[in-house]
Amino acid sequence: MAGQGILIEGLRKRYGKGDAAVDALKGVDMRVDPGEVVGLIGPSGSGKSTLLKCLGAVIEPTAGRMVLGGEVIFDGGWVARDLRALRRDRIGFVFQSPYLIPFLDVTDNVALLPMLAGVPDAEARRRALDLLEALDVSHRATAMPSRLSGGEQQRVAIARGLVNRPPVILADEPTAPLDSERALAVVRLLADMARKYETAIIVVTHDDKIIPTFKRLYRIRDGVTYEERGAAADPLEGAP
Amino acid sequence: MIVIRGNRRLQMVIASCVALTLLFAYVALRSGPMAPVAVTVETVPVRGIEPALFGVGIVDARTIATLGPTAPGRLSKVHVDVGDSVRIGQVVAEMDPVDLAERRRAQAATLSRSEALVVEARTRRDHARAQLARYAALGESKLVSVELLELKRQELALAEASAQVAHEDAARVRAELEALDARQADLVLRSPVDGLVAERHAQPGDALVAGQAVLEILDPGSLWVDTRFNQIGADGLAAGRRARIELHSRSGILHEAEVLRVDPLADAVTEELVAKVRFNTLPNPLPPIGELAQVTVALPATGPRPTIPTASIQRLGTAIGVWTVDNDDLAFVEIRTGERDLDGHVQVLEGLQGGETVVVYAEGALVPESRLRIVDRLPGVAK
Amino acid sequence: MISLAGRDILHAWGKFAFTGLGLGLLIGVTLVMAGVYRGMVQDGRALLDNSGADLWVVQQDTLGPYAESSSVADDLYRGILGMPGVTHAANVTYLTMQVRSGGRDVRAMVVGLATTGRWDEPGWPTRLAAGRPITRSHYEAIADLATGFQIGDVLSLRNNRYTVVGLTRRTVSSGGDPMVFLTLKDGQQAQFTKDNDAIRRSRERNRENPILAAPGAKGALAVLDASQESSRSVNAILVRLAPGVPPESVAEQIRAWKRLEVHTRVDMESILIGKLIATSARQIGLFLIILAAVSAAIVAFIIHTLTMEKIREIAVLKLIGTRDRTIAWMIVQQALVLGAIGFAVGRITAAYSAPLFPKFVLLTPMDSVLGFASVMVICLLASGLAVRVALRVDAADAIGG
Repeated sequence: MAGQGILIEGLRKRYGKGDAAVDALKGVDMRVDPGEVVGLIGPSGSGKSTLLKCLGAVIEPTAGRMVLGGEVIFDGGWVARDLRALRRDRIGFVFQSPYLIPFLDVTDNVALLPMLAGVPDAEARRRALDLLEALDVSHRATAMPSRLSGGEQQRVAIARGLVNRPPVILADEPTAPLDSERALAVVRLLADMARKYETAIIVVTHDDKIIPTFKRLYRIRDGVTYEERGAAADPLEGAP
Repeated sequence: MIVIRGNRRLQMVIASCVALTLLFAYVALRSGPMAPVAVTVETVPVRGIEPALFGVGIVDARTIATLGPTAPGRLSKVHVDVGDSVRIGQVVAEMDPVDLAERRRAQAATLSRSEALVVEARTRRDHARAQLARYAALGESKLVSVELLELKRQELALAEASAQVAHEDAARVRAELEALDARQADLVLRSPVDGLVAERHAQPGDALVAGQAVLEILDPGSLWVDTRFNQIGADGLAAGRRARIELHSRSGILHEAEVLRVDPLADAVTEELVAKVRFNTLPNPLPPIGELAQVTVALPATGPRPTIPTASIQRLGTAIGVWTVDNDDLAFVEIRTGERDLDGHVQVLEGLQGGETVVVYAEGALVPESRLRIVDRLPGVAK
Repeated sequence: MISLAGRDILHAWGKFAFTGLGLGLLIGVTLVMAGVYRGMVQDGRALLDNSGADLWVVQQDTLGPYAESSSVADDLYRGILGMPGVTHAANVTYLTMQVRSGGRDVRAMVVGLATTGRWDEPGWPTRLAAGRPITRSHYEAIADLATGFQIGDVLSLRNNRYTVVGLTRRTVSSGGDPMVFLTLKDGQQAQFTKDNDAIRRSRERNRENPILAAPGAKGALAVLDASQESSRSVNAILVRLAPGVPPESVAEQIRAWKRLEVHTRVDMESILIGKLIATSARQIGLFLIILAAVSAAIVAFIIHTLTMEKIREIAVLKLIGTRDRTIAWMIVQQALVLGAIGFAVGRITAAYSAPLFPKFVLLTPMDSVLGFASVMVICLLASGLAVRVALRVDAADAIGG
């Protein structure tokens, strides 16, 4: 689905009140274009998680503006009405741990999302299977998550993130548990998906194995982001 | 929606759920008020029954003679003991004569003296008579005075009177002697019947008063069972009916017997009739007096009629009747009953014809809509 | 839409089944306890119904033969029979005692009943399970199946032997003891006759009495012995009235005239069920409350544990857009399914264990329905804790810090 990626302007987040207040984000600006995979790196305590939570519409920023997929969702206050529906339909999540639902099999883990959005069961499962195929785990379609290897689980998790074809994907340390070969494979996969579905993807990471693969990076330090050029000219990036 | 995909675990779970549900449904339908009622049934035969009466009695004897002295004395000897057979007239005990022998001798001596006195008196009389004759002859010759003659006459009269006195006196003494003899004879107690000594109340040496019992002798031929029957339900008890006696100490052995009589005096306190039932042949050994016995008196057998177990009779409202089963229909039929026997059967005079299937025992109360489960025995009843 | 609750239950089937089984046994015990109470009440009513009496006449100031001992003269019934409105008046003796047979000893209530020869004699069991009614005036008995005796068994009571000729079901005293029925005279003998040693001693005492030992007084001695050894008492008189006669009016007459205590059917029910069963009812009620609390605790604990194990997944579900109420409903459904399994197991357990219980257990369909409803409500409430926990989970926690 064509969208306009992610646009963040002057995002602030303050925790607490008065003297005890802490400013986690002090004016963050970010831009991710559709089809782009952008890295977000920074030390712990720099506000990475807070930024992700704001983007994921699970906490409320204090000030600023957020536009996701062309829709203004926050402008000084929430503009989007139903945050849950927003998360369901417009944002895909990929976590450090797969967090697959242990009592659903692989296909249902992925198909659950479209079903929650009202898609008929058969269609939802078809979409799920397509993605699993694309991610090369369709041979495990009927298995329970506990039976899959770490890498397989992660791929299923990525499939879940993509299945609703959200305009935005937030990936939080997706390669941390993986070895370098798998890690690069995941990044390649994300890039493919981004290109194919014109999704804007932010990858929060401090994995040195994959940092060089990003064309563009944002560093975050003390609640503020700094844009950087990534190690470019990587054939993984595809067309510049 | 759960998609069934041939998942083994799913199959197992569904199987156990189905099993649980079926078991639950079974339990719900088979127990509690929805369950069918277990009953036993019987086809009604047409036959006669043998009614009977039952009573409990005590072995007793019609004739029990009580022997004892007619005068106070001391018991000297007892020749028999409890259980001995005696013949009529047999000496069974003797009283101590004490001073009877001495008194007899005294009396005999007195008699001798009296008889001697009689002789003396007669002698005087004879002499007086002779004297009178002599003087009378002299008087005719006028040799003696009329006065003297009178005197001799008077002497004769006196002498005759004295002789009379002596004679009567001797008779009196003789009679007293005979009385002592009779008393002597009475000291010997003789059995008045052929029989058995049932009880012995005194020992040699005991001092007894007149009429006190020494021995009780019973006539075994007069042995009977003094039986009591509840007044209610004793219709038909009459002399001449055949009976059977079962002694408590010899259970299982039945003695043929006959009702000798029904006592004219019943027991109003215990509400019982009393009858005497006699053994046809005396049991050997003889049952002791006082032993309990169960007596069954046979009443005339009845003609053939539909006969049902008493247990099948039930009440519905104010009517009494039985539950009949016809194919699957349960119906209550009111009946009128006739004779009963001691084995729990009763004849039906009205309401049944014979051949019907009736419910005998039921696990619970029946209504016409009850569902039945026909069994051989109700649960819990052994074979 | 996938049933999350269904899938979760399927996944954790072992835990569910095991917990359901345990819960079921607990519920089964609860149902049996309630059944015991129902059984006691029904037996009590049956006791009163079987006696076929409208009035119970007992010794003055006593509560009646089931609650207290009572002794009345055995010829009083004649006077009562003559009163207007009275159709039956029959003597009855009751005594709870040990009955021996073939080496076994059973505690039973021995009832002596008058035989009037009619079909509707007050007090006699209306229905037999086997055998026949008593036909002979002595030495026959009818026993309840719960005594364990069978037809043909010979029972020993005091000095006498009685042959079992009939069997009954569910004839028990208010204390739960099975009943043995004898004719009235046998019942009087069983209750009031002294044992042989006592009789011997009393005869010796009489014999030593110089007045009675006088010769010629033999008859007097026998009469005195017999009078001391027999009994002219019964425990109560059962009275049946003609239809339409108000029981209380006849009761008042009897009370005033004969100086006895009379209880109507209504009085007897309140004595039996009110006084005698009330204590047991309270105990059973307390027990039920405790069981309900324990069941609730178990369900709450299990559901809470299962929920806590899924905390991360719940956060993820919330994050990816699952409604709060969907998650709450998932938890509640699990609790209800657990309750349903528990109830099914419990009902089945109760049905199969009821006959093994020493007391009579009566399970009514109404109790099952109420039980099921209670279990569902308890599960609903018990799941509340877990639901609260689930609702407070923050979707943001899925995004690790």
